[in-house]
Amino acid sequence: MNSMNRLLLGWMAALPLLAQDGRTIVDEAQKRSRADSQRYEGTLEVRDAKRKVSMKRWVYERLGSAGEAKAVLKFTAPAEVKGVALLIHNHPDRASDQWMWTPAVARERRIAFQDRRTRFFGTDFTFEDLEERDVDRSTYKLMGEEKLDGATVWRIESTPKPEAKSQYTRIELWVRKDTYSFAQAECFSKDKLVRRIRYTDLEKVQNIWTARTLEVHDIDRNSRTVMKLEKLQYNLTLPAENFTLQALRREQ
Amino acid sequence: MMLLRLITWPYVRKHMLRCLLTTAGIVLGVAVFVGMHTANQSVLFAFNQTVDKIAGSTQLQVTAGETGFPEEVLERVQSHPDVEVAVPVIEASVQTGLQGQGNLLVLGVDMTGDRSLRDYDLNKADEALIDDPLVFLAQPDSIILSEQFCQRTGLQMNGKLTMQTMAGPKQFTIRGVMNSAGLASAFGGNLAVMDIYAAQMVFGRGRHFDRVDIALRRGVNVDAARASLQSLLGPGLQVDPPSARGQQFEAMAQIYSMSANITSLFALFIGLFLIYNTFSIAVTQRRSEIGILRALGATQGQIKRLFVLESGIAGLFGSLAGLGLGVLIARGIAGYISGYLGEMYGVAQRAEEVSADPRLLGFALFLGIATSLIGGWIPARSAARVDPVKALQKGRAQVMSAGENRARKIAALAMLGLGIACVFAGHKPFFFYSGYMLSVLAVLLLTPALCIWLTRMLRPLMKWVRPVEGSLAADSLLQAPRRTSGTVAALALSVALVIGLGGIAKSSFEMIYEWMDAALSPDLFLTSSESITQRGFRFPFEFGDELRQVEGIDEIQAVRTVRIIYQGTPVMLVSTNVEKLVKRIRTKVIQGDPRTMYQQASRGEGVVISDNFALLRRVNAGDTLALMSPTGPLRAKVLGVVTDFSDQQGTIMMDRELYRRHWKDDTVDVFRVYLNQGASQTVVRQRLLDRFGTKTRLFVLTNGELRAFILRITEQWFGLTYVQIFVAVLVAILGIVNTLTVSIADRKRELGVLQAVGALRNQVRHTIWMEALAIGALGLMIGYALGAVHLYYILEVTKRDIAGMRLEYRYPLGIALTLLPVMLGAALLSGAGPAEAAVRGSLVEALEYE
Repeated sequence: MNSMNRLLLGWMAALPLLAQDGRTIVDEAQKRSRADSQRYEGTLEVRDAKRKVSMKRWVYERLGSAGEAKAVLKFTAPAEVKGVALLIHNHPDRASDQWMWTPAVARERRIAFQDRRTRFFGTDFTFEDLEERDVDRSTYKLMGEEKLDGATVWRIESTPKPEAKSQYTRIELWVRKDTYSFAQAECFSKDKLVRRIRYTDLEKVQNIWTARTLEVHDIDRNSRTVMKLEKLQYNLTLPAENFTLQALRREQ
Repeated sequence: MMLLRLITWPYVRKHMLRCLLTTAGIVLGVAVFVGMHTANQSVLFAFNQTVDKIAGSTQLQVTAGETGFPEEVLERVQSHPDVEVAVPVIEASVQTGLQGQGNLLVLGVDMTGDRSLRDYDLNKADEALIDDPLVFLAQPDSIILSEQFCQRTGLQMNGKLTMQTMAGPKQFTIRGVMNSAGLASAFGGNLAVMDIYAAQMVFGRGRHFDRVDIALRRGVNVDAARASLQSLLGPGLQVDPPSARGQQFEAMAQIYSMSANITSLFALFIGLFLIYNTFSIAVTQRRSEIGILRALGATQGQIKRLFVLESGIAGLFGSLAGLGLGVLIARGIAGYISGYLGEMYGVAQRAEEVSADPRLLGFALFLGIATSLIGGWIPARSAARVDPVKALQKGRAQVMSAGENRARKIAALAMLGLGIACVFAGHKPFFFYSGYMLSVLAVLLLTPALCIWLTRMLRPLMKWVRPVEGSLAADSLLQAPRRTSGTVAALALSVALVIGLGGIAKSSFEMIYEWMDAALSPDLFLTSSESITQRGFRFPFEFGDELRQVEGIDEIQAVRTVRIIYQGTPVMLVSTNVEKLVKRIRTKVIQGDPRTMYQQASRGEGVVISDNFALLRRVNAGDTLALMSPTGPLRAKVLGVVTDFSDQQGTIMMDRELYRRHWKDDTVDVFRVYLNQGASQTVVRQRLLDRFGTKTRLFVLTNGELRAFILRITEQWFGLTYVQIFVAVLVAILGIVNTLTVSIADRKRELGVLQAVGALRNQVRHTIWMEALAIGALGLMIGYALGAVHLYYILEVTKRDIAGMRLEYRYPLGIALTLLPVMLGAALLSGAGPAEAAVRGSLVEALEYE
């Protein structure tokens, strides 16, 4: 499973595989994607309802175990956004802390908890989608098995617990039986489908099955964001001090 | 109704011009009342609309006056359990340099969260709002404009717009366009949105926000949440619903309401006398009709009702015309008030629409009709008392009975006595305003008697100027005091109004001059805005050190001026180095010991307040002010009271250190610059502009320029006063024209007889001219006296209820002298028409009249 799976579906955490129920499957999927650190260069393509396309590139680095990881996402292109960064400090028991750094004004801004449901810089992700969360902050229900894109998948319904304070009322997950990697997720708000995420271009990188392409479809706005992962590396050495506000300020 | 149709209507048709002139007073009175109040309400409405639209679904706002507060407050607000959304805001009114487009209201917001609070785009999908949200946030030159503004100016997405910033004019890129509804329609569409952190940089706000807008969790009680937030944040920060801003604005605009009320009442009072006068004459003229009606069985009540009804109808038509005219002039006045408040208080609003409140129109209609009914009441009563037998005896009814005259004199003297007693009875509003009203009424009741006394005094002079015509004119006035006294009263009221308003203007200007001489001693003033009242941009305090290096500069004094809320009203807080300041100024001290109070103030042991603050808020030296600062309450002892005209709502002066400690604000609005002896203002100014002008937003005003600015603001304030003076003079002239037209028509037969027995046309003409001049002179003399009383009261009203300013009593001799040729000239011109009508009419017709 690629890193964005963890980012997008953070309520999955590792637990021993005891039985093939929903929670166990999600937990196993999380466990199999686990890495101490991660780095990749991402390409982001946003297509709005009028089919207008905008492209961006970023470098993503993550350090730490699932649920407590720290991550920095730095935009590298186009020139107007170069240097803008997002620092995420995940916590297992509460919502993550997030700061955005804008070099032109040399200021970091804290993304307030209340703003997590807003879109992540014009993409179809929300800030909440970038969080990692403990698997116990949701309940799971195995709905059955079915075929998706030629592969056999489990269909699991995940319901965030009230303390998770999620924007979603439930999420339906499709997990491939052969690789325990995510194939699709549908996010609902008050029983209305608001977002669909597709995971494709599955590839084994350093023994971790990773979807190289993610496509997020915002149903209301009818816009799509396609993210491609390049130069992906797991378990590399990253200095802890890179994941601080001071580091962002230093690079100014 | 039948009487009205058979008797009144033919009379009105025959004397249409006279009827129109009669109602003109009511028209003007109602128009001034409606115009001023509608304009005031429209400006207030526009402000509230802007506040509402900008507020979006904001339920509460956290503010700290103009100073703003540190960013940390935001996190404290966001952490409150009742708060669903809390977003920071910076608001600034900025010049764009686009001709005829006015200022742009720039809203600095954090777009990552703000859209959950404000509706930026009602119809279009999100992507239409901002071309690329990440670029918008990443580039500090990004702005979003309203579609309306773009259409007006021809600007387009990704186009450039120049705006004034802290670093001088700077180009901004339009990276979003808002649909012209909701938020985008605020401030008449002259609205721009930019990133809050870019706004902090552009407007020199440091790490401060102007306010935090809050939406509460569903089901949370707003009042309870407000109290809870207030307790969390402490008293230095205000937690209020957005509507509270409207209430503060209302306090600023209230001054106009008070002024409008006084002028409207005077205009209506003048109208009352015009109605009274015309109806008195009409009763005289129509007494044969009345006699016939009474002989045919009409009761006294019917006759009385007929005349009351006539006056009511005149009032109705006059009021309706006044309502129309008032709404028409309201637009101009609204623009004027908007401009003034914008310049004086830096308040952002635009009165796009002027619409009158039906309740206001209803009240104005009632006022106009009531005035007319009161004016017509006494003539109606006289008409009812007409003895059918005496009705044919011409001239009899014009002579005021001795009994009636005596009763008026007694009533007038009683009122005068009561009025004087009220002056000594205390300062309670009831006694004060009763005394004011009684004094004016006493003079007006005495007018007939005064007319007789003064005409007797004038008679020798008139006779000396023109032996025959002068005597005839004086005798005509003496024989028919009732005909003249109403006009003289109206004229006197107009003159008194002019004297009062003129006196206020004179006193204000003279005292402002004296204050400027005492307080505005620096050679140059360095500001971050063209107008010293705009505080949207600020200098860092350290900039003063750089300024000191400039050759020719002796001393720099950093001043921070902010508006804070004191007991619900915005007042001015001025902070500077008091020790340095007092060495350079000679401000008049009203309370406190000048030797010690400034020393204590410079040690931060208290504050010095302006006289108008002391009067408006009933505070004296030795009292303690409870000021709310962002760091908590500050109990500041009042060390002294001084004359200061910096602000109409009052000024609090404190040492800069005390301010910095409590407001955590180290910025500067104005640097007072003192030059070395012999250094040229022009040369040093140029040096400052050359050295700093290109890298920072900087305006250098010379002492003379700042004085000119203050005088211009004062002129602007008195601008509406001058309009009121014009209205007063206009009503007075209408009064004279009316009286003379009526008088000549009334004396058509008498004038015909004069010509028949050999009087030359010129003699008749001169007689009427002299009569007109005499009416003018009587009105002036009584008006001068009444004006002296009126000025006393209006100065007291200004002190007590308008601006708290202790203006000295200075009779406007210049204005009084100017009124002399104006009023006499107007009287003479007013008499010209009727005089010509009298001498050119048919002699036979004149002799047959009545």
